[in-house]
Amino acid sequence: MGEQRTINKTVLRLIKDDITDIAVEAFVYYATEDLALGSGYGGAISVRGGPTIQAELTTLAPIGATEAVITAAGEMKARQIIHAVGPKFQEENIEKKLRQTIVNALKLADEKGLRQLAFPAMGAGFYGVPLLDCAAIMLDTIDNYLSGTTGLEEVIVCLGDSRDYDVFAEYFAAAGKAREASNV
Amino acid sequence: MGKKIRSHKAEKVLERLQKKMNRQIAGSLAACVHCGMCTNSCHYVLTNPGDPTYAPAYKADKIRKLFKRHIDWTGRVLPWWVSAKSIYTDEELEELKDTVFGKCTNCRRCSINCPMGVDFATFNRMARGLLVSVGVMPEGVAVVSKDQWELGNQMGVLKEDYIETVEWMSEELENELGVEGPIIPIDKEDAAVVYSINPREVKYDPRTIADAAKIFHVAGENWTMPSEGWDMTNFGLFSGDDDLGGAVARRLYDKVSELRGKKLVISECGHGYRSTRCEGPNWAGMDIPFEMESSVLTMLRYIKEGRIKVDKSRNPEPVTFHDSCNNARSCGLFEEPRELLNLVCEDFREMYPNRTENFCCTGGGGAMSMSEYTNRRLKSGKVKADQLQATGAATVVTSCHNCVDGLTDIIRHYKLGMGVTQLVNLVANALVIPEKPVVVAAPEEIPAEKKAIPVVAEGLELIGRKVLVVDDEPDILTFISTVLEDHGAQVTTAHNAEKAIELARSVKPDLVTLDISMPGKDGGYVFETIRNDPDLKQMRVCIISGKPELRRLIYDRAVPPPDGFMEKPITEDGLLINVRKILEVGAAEHSPDSA
Repeated sequence: MGEQRTINKTVLRLIKDDITDIAVEAFVYYATEDLALGSGYGGAISVRGGPTIQAELTTLAPIGATEAVITAAGEMKARQIIHAVGPKFQEENIEKKLRQTIVNALKLADEKGLRQLAFPAMGAGFYGVPLLDCAAIMLDTIDNYLSGTTGLEEVIVCLGDSRDYDVFAEYFAAAGKAREASNV
Repeated sequence: MGKKIRSHKAEKVLERLQKKMNRQIAGSLAACVHCGMCTNSCHYVLTNPGDPTYAPAYKADKIRKLFKRHIDWTGRVLPWWVSAKSIYTDEELEELKDTVFGKCTNCRRCSINCPMGVDFATFNRMARGLLVSVGVMPEGVAVVSKDQWELGNQMGVLKEDYIETVEWMSEELENELGVEGPIIPIDKEDAAVVYSINPREVKYDPRTIADAAKIFHVAGENWTMPSEGWDMTNFGLFSGDDDLGGAVARRLYDKVSELRGKKLVISECGHGYRSTRCEGPNWAGMDIPFEMESSVLTMLRYIKEGRIKVDKSRNPEPVTFHDSCNNARSCGLFEEPRELLNLVCEDFREMYPNRTENFCCTGGGGAMSMSEYTNRRLKSGKVKADQLQATGAATVVTSCHNCVDGLTDIIRHYKLGMGVTQLVNLVANALVIPEKPVVVAAPEEIPAEKKAIPVVAEGLELIGRKVLVVDDEPDILTFISTVLEDHGAQVTTAHNAEKAIELARSVKPDLVTLDISMPGKDGGYVFETIRNDPDLKQMRVCIISGKPELRRLIYDRAVPPPDGFMEKPITEDGLLINVRKILEVGAAEHSPDSA
């Protein structure tokens, strides 16, 4: 059981797992504009979910930067996947774009009436967003969004290994303390 | 004259250059006196004598000019005097990519031959990392890096496939050795040895896992394989991405610590050994509380301590040894493999030059993943081909999976007709299995599906099995068909993709052996068609190819992976072992090569 806290009525939780192998209503895939699944988590989605996911994406491509689309998840444990096009490789205005990508994914989840959504460490790792920046941007943006009106009951941040998890958990704890202090 | 405008990517590259500079790199960048000693050390230069762009000093100057312009005081004060130049456009970044990824394998042969101690490979790697940080890299580097970042191994092996393969190998050995219970324990705590492997072993060569397991078992080792953090390779070494290097290394170290393992043993892989044993602790910023060792040392120690016995007469063929760049030049691991070879082979012949002076297999530095440079790589392999041929050996042995692929490609391209193997395979083949009481399984323990197979005479165990053999080369069609028919299989053949799909639908074979490279539609098309057809998708498929770089045509497809993979040239024993395993037919233990 990972770190968690409740924001309004939504639980925000950190877990350590492979995001393409968890039973969740929907998870976010950090996509490219052409919506080609490619390698990494994309490869896992293709193999675990089957060819129908890429086929559905082909009908939706291309999409613009920070935009998001939703597909079924084929034979995966998850039911749906939100494919969100985040910034990559130190591109310009990366923080602003990353925040917008996360918000767009959350909004799409709400539009589709989802109650549970899992995020990976958006843009960290291969695409080079520094881990601490990623944690701060993601957790602040999600926190801020959940402070408004949402139908989401649970948002999960799913980290692939302890290196990622430890950084997120530390920021999560610090942000929680800061929130408590500001409420006093 | 207006000021030159620098692209965003070029700006970021220069920003990071400042951060990546350390004494080792600055020393190397400042020390070159252009004496030319490095030139004839490089296999690219030796095979492209009229092209100065392959010379290490020329390639180094592409990076050095940036150092001079932006860091070294001489370039800031007198840029024209020291050839200091900046970089401005994305096109210039692409040109730099072509040099640092496409004209060097970071083998470090020029480094050890430099009288000034210039380590070109080190700053070439740094330059790769700068480019990767702005997304400028060969497509194959991107694919592999993303796999390793997100799935924890550089070939995108899913956890369930890894576990299934390890359990499969364990069961094979249990049957072969007559042992009850798992021979390969997974996630066993407090083990003396935690064994880490290269994902290539899972995907293309599980025989090496079984061979290693057999050696650990006979040695009576208290050992385990981890369910996660099992990939000891590290693409960060090749891509220059230190963050990836640290992340991958930490996954291994964390898992061994979690299991309270006493020692991490690293299977035969040059860059994996260097990354995990030598570079990883620095990249990860960790102190490592356990020992780390190459499996070459482990096997040698078992023999010396009398924990295993070997019979070298089982490996009578002449063999030579190829030193992996990372093992020999970067880690000093070159005498132990020779000592081990002399214990398990009757006829070991040196290759010249050797040890730290050996030439690269051409597959180093991630070159096998960069298909756009394949022609250059193969051309540069002439040096290696000449070295190999001069030995007169039938087989080349190497302690590196990259080298296995690189050498296999060179041997095929230059038609040398040699085999490639690793020490673990030779040790396992020479291993004397101690006599043990024969364990007779109770009838009720025999799985139902095995009961259904009629008992037949040895050599006819494929009776009743239908095999579709697909290959465009008539000689290979005849060879495979004859071997399988001689063992009782009912064989049909197809020489192209269309015929293969037609026969797969009409004959419904138990197994398809499928060549990848065929004129017209290739084996990848046939494979994907089979996997996407609801009536055929469960059909077992064994891929056969003489071109390792074409594996991606199969494994990158968004469909479940094939059931087996074989490299040409195919031997009768190798074919039968694989077919038996895939069809789950017994008697694999009757073969001398059995794994």
